[in-house]
Amino acid sequence: MKNKNNVKSTIGLVFLNIFFIFLCVVTLVPVLYAFSVSINAKNDFLSSNFSFWPKEFTLKHYKSIFLESNFLSWVKNSIFLAVATVLGGIAFSVPAAYAFSRRRFKGRSGILYILLMLNAFPTVLSMAAVYRLLRTMGLINTFTGLIFLYIGNMIVFGIWNMKGYFDTIPTNIEEAAKIDGADDFKIVLKIILPLAKPSIVVTATLILIYVWNEYLYVISFITGTSKYSLAAGLYSLQVNEYTRSWPAFSAASLLISLPILVVFFIIQKHMVSGLTAGSIK
Amino acid sequence: MILKIKSKTEPYLYSAPALIVIALVMVLPIIYTVYISFTNMNVYHWKDFKFIGFKNYQKALFMLDSGFLMAFLRTVLWTAVNIILQLIISFLIAVLLNVKGLKLSKLYKTFLMFPWAMPGYVSILLWKMGMFNTEYGFLNHLLQKLGISKINWLSGNFTAFVSCIILNLWLALPFMIMIIDGALQSVDKCYYESAKLEGANFWNQTRYITIPLIKPIIAPMVMMTLFTTFKQFDIVYLLTQQNGSKTGADIHTVLTYAYENAFITNNYGYSSAVSIIIFLILLVYSIFNQKDIRGEA
Repeated sequence: MKNKNNVKSTIGLVFLNIFFIFLCVVTLVPVLYAFSVSINAKNDFLSSNFSFWPKEFTLKHYKSIFLESNFLSWVKNSIFLAVATVLGGIAFSVPAAYAFSRRRFKGRSGILYILLMLNAFPTVLSMAAVYRLLRTMGLINTFTGLIFLYIGNMIVFGIWNMKGYFDTIPTNIEEAAKIDGADDFKIVLKIILPLAKPSIVVTATLILIYVWNEYLYVISFITGTSKYSLAAGLYSLQVNEYTRSWPAFSAASLLISLPILVVFFIIQKHMVSGLTAGSIK
Repeated sequence: MILKIKSKTEPYLYSAPALIVIALVMVLPIIYTVYISFTNMNVYHWKDFKFIGFKNYQKALFMLDSGFLMAFLRTVLWTAVNIILQLIISFLIAVLLNVKGLKLSKLYKTFLMFPWAMPGYVSILLWKMGMFNTEYGFLNHLLQKLGISKINWLSGNFTAFVSCIILNLWLALPFMIMIIDGALQSVDKCYYESAKLEGANFWNQTRYITIPLIKPIIAPMVMMTLFTTFKQFDIVYLLTQQNGSKTGADIHTVLTYAYENAFITNNYGYSSAVSIIIFLILLVYSIFNQKDIRGEA
């Protein structure tokens, strides 16, 4: 009886493994196909006798991306925008999240509520208003303007996400530190930040991914492709010349994704706790 | 005394920088949009626009051929189909990932997370050109190998809609699988043991134990996903509407509809009214589901 059950569950597991291998392959097909096209020396993706495995390999499409005069400046711009927005976003939202988590003051729950409701307005549609705002501030066609918009769009999420996590940290350590004479700045730096690491890492990563992905603001407010970010650059490649350089486009797409993939998988273990601490207990 | 005043002003001081930026970037544009929505601002009245009362709202809500109502219904359908499919598929996958004895489940999970880790809009463009493209897209290569004729995926309304749903599933499933997987692992195993003793089968266990127990955990995430699915812009826009490379399919959601009216046909007043209507719909939705969305806060 027991043996029979074992055989049955072994066969079940074999099928389950086959199913998951198939599922993983299907999931990865878009990326694998792009990779295969990007290293294929023959342009046979247009013909019907195309094969998934390239018969000849080449790196020329990757080379052509780097030789493409603007690519390196897009990389530079994206890194600059991402780093500045992440630092700014965290610097703005940590003190606010701390205040909302630890203090009780007039208007607290009202403000928190409004912040949440702001998510209901689709930011894509505020483009015209945002344009007026940037023009008034003299920030059209500047990175400062972009960073300002990115920070504004992301700190609502940052405040809520980190506040949720701060709420789960017991206050007794802070109280002890306070008796020892530590001020708020010290408490946040020495106690909250180390304890809230998962949520800060996850918030920072999601801000980074947002900036890395954002193209609408850039193509609307920045003139001259040399000042584009990677996302906007890829967008312009795709609009203008993709039909003749789909392999180069694939190569560029994969290169752009690589840093995000690496960061994502490094922090993956924090992802669940860092995102859901506020709602899951 | 000074200490008391200090501790009273401190929270405002700490949150002020963030709140000022939010007020400028998020709140001000909303107020401005409300204002514009009552005017006739468009290409012909760029500077000399004037107040026209509720005319824009009337046009959106009561003129059947304005396109807004169609786009709205389509968006509701889009959201419903996506959420239902997402819940069913990710629940099944998550349950299978948790089958006892599946040693490689961690490895599979890592691979299945891949679409989430890719920058979203890069994925959309890769799908557009790599998968759906009529000439050299993977799907059509596959169809040809199977002896079926090519499909022009993105130009028919129906196939374009289905394509967008497939892509959205590809993008959104990893997150949902991860959330449900986490919820399943938090369920105490002893419930199942006693259920087994009483002879409950898998279906009954799922229905009476698993679902009620994971529901409160995944509810906030489902609400959030509903929200983002309703507001999804990039997929429909990049696949079918993109300026200069429209595919011919008309599958506007409310967002791409409002966007087109604002930035392609420059009908700002009208587009602003549509934006405010969308805002109000989502606002009412979030007020009703407030508890779920905010979790315990």
